[in-house]
Amino acid sequence: MSSLEQRAEAARPVGTWDEAPAALSATGVVKSFGATRALRGATLALYPAEVHALVGENGAGKSTLVKILVGALQPDAGTLVLGEAPLHLGSVRDAVAAGIVPVYQHLTLMPHLSVTENLLAFELAAGSPLRGRPRRCTPADARAMLAQVGLDVDPRAPVGRLSLAERQLVEIARGLGRDCKVLVLDEPTAALHRGEVDRLFAAIRRIRDRGTAVLFISHKLGEIEEIADRVSVLRDGQSVLEGSPRAAVSSRTLIELMIGHGVEAGRIPAPPADAETLRVEGLTAPGVFADLAFSVRRGEILGLAGLVGSGALEAAAALAGAFPVRQGSLRLDGQPLPTGDPVAAHRAGVALLPGEREAAGVFPGLSALTNASASTLGELASFGWLRGRRERERILPWLHRLSVNPMAPGLPIERFSGGNQQKVLAIRSLAMAGMKLLAALDPTRGVDVGARAVIHEALAHAAAGGAAVVVYSSDLEELVALSHRVLAMREGRIVARFSTPVATSSVLAALTGAAP
Amino acid sequence: MTASAPIAVIRTRLAAAPASLYALALLFLVLALVVPRFATVGNLTNVARVAAILALAAFGQAVVLVTGGIDFSSGSSVALTSVVTVLLVPSLGASEALLAGCLTAVAIGAVNGSLVAWLELPPFLVTLGMLIAGHGLASLLVGGVPLEAPASLGLSRLSQGTAGGLPVPIAVAAVAFAVFLVLLRRTVLGRTWYLVGSNARAARLAGLDVRQSLLLAYVVGSLFVAAAGLILTARVSSGQPNLYPSLPFEAIAACAIGGVPLTGGAGTPAQVLAGVLIVAMIQNAVVLLNFSPSIQLMLIGGLTVGAVLVQQVAWRRPSRAWSAS
Repeated sequence: MSSLEQRAEAARPVGTWDEAPAALSATGVVKSFGATRALRGATLALYPAEVHALVGENGAGKSTLVKILVGALQPDAGTLVLGEAPLHLGSVRDAVAAGIVPVYQHLTLMPHLSVTENLLAFELAAGSPLRGRPRRCTPADARAMLAQVGLDVDPRAPVGRLSLAERQLVEIARGLGRDCKVLVLDEPTAALHRGEVDRLFAAIRRIRDRGTAVLFISHKLGEIEEIADRVSVLRDGQSVLEGSPRAAVSSRTLIELMIGHGVEAGRIPAPPADAETLRVEGLTAPGVFADLAFSVRRGEILGLAGLVGSGALEAAAALAGAFPVRQGSLRLDGQPLPTGDPVAAHRAGVALLPGEREAAGVFPGLSALTNASASTLGELASFGWLRGRRERERILPWLHRLSVNPMAPGLPIERFSGGNQQKVLAIRSLAMAGMKLLAALDPTRGVDVGARAVIHEALAHAAAGGAAVVVYSSDLEELVALSHRVLAMREGRIVARFSTPVATSSVLAALTGAAP
Repeated sequence: MTASAPIAVIRTRLAAAPASLYALALLFLVLALVVPRFATVGNLTNVARVAAILALAAFGQAVVLVTGGIDFSSGSSVALTSVVTVLLVPSLGASEALLAGCLTAVAIGAVNGSLVAWLELPPFLVTLGMLIAGHGLASLLVGGVPLEAPASLGLSRLSQGTAGGLPVPIAVAAVAFAVFLVLLRRTVLGRTWYLVGSNARAARLAGLDVRQSLLLAYVVGSLFVAAAGLILTARVSSGQPNLYPSLPFEAIAACAIGGVPLTGGAGTPAQVLAGVLIVAMIQNAVVLLNFSPSIQLMLIGGLTVGAVLVQQVAWRRPSRAWSAS
């Protein structure tokens, strides 16, 4: 018996999942948006005192199912049952009243109000603003609520002063203040670092042990392995795994279930020995990075590794003119490349693939096609006239090749899942005819396994086409697997250089400054 | 291919047409049925004459709105164009004076555009300042009183003449619409305006020259407005420092009524035209029905807010959820 099962047994003195009635179940749920069928028969049963992980690629229908469970969307067909009674949810308020409490990925606390006032927000919202006085909440009450999640902060402190992880715990505590039967956590660890994740998981276990069903949505399979008692998988809007005990499925099986086929580890072809394309000398941005010197060959993928604050991300951005530089020089094919000017860099054949999709990547309201062609407008035009046909001929094959789903070039970009948006951003760079250098800044951030593999292939393809590729990734395993060489950065300087294959742990040791 | 395929195509085309076009058609039908003498050739020509000036201003406004900006300065652009043109007719002759008027507008647009693009000042404040200062300058140039234009065939033809069988103002607006349409739909510059309006940071990182495109948006926008100013000048036959002060606001209202969002990155030429025609028809109907002009202002104001409300409801519905609730 694994430690996980032992823990699950210990947490559950009576009954098993199959004997007790489900806290909340959804059966045969169907939901369409226009012509897109987001869900076609999804089934999910959450039992009291379990952590239930829901996984699936972006676009598999996870968020739609979750929205239906919390009343934010109404299903076209299918039934919801709470305990033993059928459930109809007209709004999130109905769901909260029924004991189904969502904790949002984007925090919804009011930063200027105190912890206590934030804890009371649901109570206030439940009543009419004009009728009745708000319920009083003493500091002792607030402390008791916070204790449920193992949080010990001053209830009078403004929420804005708490760390992100603490705020998230306050938000969970607020949800538990109601008669909470089901807690829904949508990617709660997305913005947390490892220590904070541990703290969150301790709170989740505590909540589970008092009998609440916890639905846990995450892309990170390692976390699921750690926290989940059972797991369900959605693919193309259908349930392909319905609440199997976590210990019974390996991570590899999970990935295969999610993407629908086996995964094979591809190997990137080695770059030609000669042909240096990019030469970086003495690149310095005070306080961020200093005196960087390296070169990249045609066809080579160079990984810049570094923890947050190491300057690695900024250094990669600086290559594309997207981060200002004080000193140093860049040379591309022997020609000097102006720094701090994305327009000039673009003109010289430098492409940028951003990971911050919403802030720096997509053009909301505009079609996938328009989003994909944004960096090639000059090539697709003659004398300022845009050639629609040329644009489609250039971009559509790429959309097919990177299997953008749905294959609907005219659909506004925000209607695509995060992974597919990221594929479109990759196409924006790949479609550039004269691309000499591709700077990819955390290109697979928040992207599911299927899209991640496609992005990796896209980077390898760019390299195979003769471009130099420089990648920064917050996922060190990915970076090491993807790159020909890895430069480790710490405190703005290159502290070690590796040729792959190399053990991730040795790179990590260099990043953290630990003795190898 | 089945016989029903073309019908299906028409059906999807109709479904894709902006809602404001339906509103326009409905309004036309209602006014034609309810308001006497509305649907006569004479009256509709009149509507088109009024619409022509508003349309020119609205095209200029829309170009800036698409980039995510706003241009209040069109009120003073019209006045300065008018004053400069009339001042220069005696010394330069009509056509050169008209050109000088246009250059004035270009200068205003260039100042607005430079401040917005290079100094990254908010368009709202930049163009508001330009609106106030421009009126001041126009007033200064003519000593605060309207300046009568010398009799000039070139100038009067702009308002009274015909071109290709159409009154000149309508012909100018029609040509301007074609330019506006092609610019937004078929050029790299127009595409860049949409991209910048949708996400300026992403546009910069994609290698687009955001600053140049913003500068050109304000200049091109001002040129459309200058055309409106010249026609107005010809109509009143004088250089007026206070010519049509509500023009920028009516132009913004027309864009909003047509369904152009003020957040940038969206809006089509057809929507702008529909908004302009809706405003012009309402203004005309109010006159025909002998209502007070105050009623007209209230109607346009209410309609502007109503149109934005309808847009908001339509936008919110699909994605209401999770983050909105």
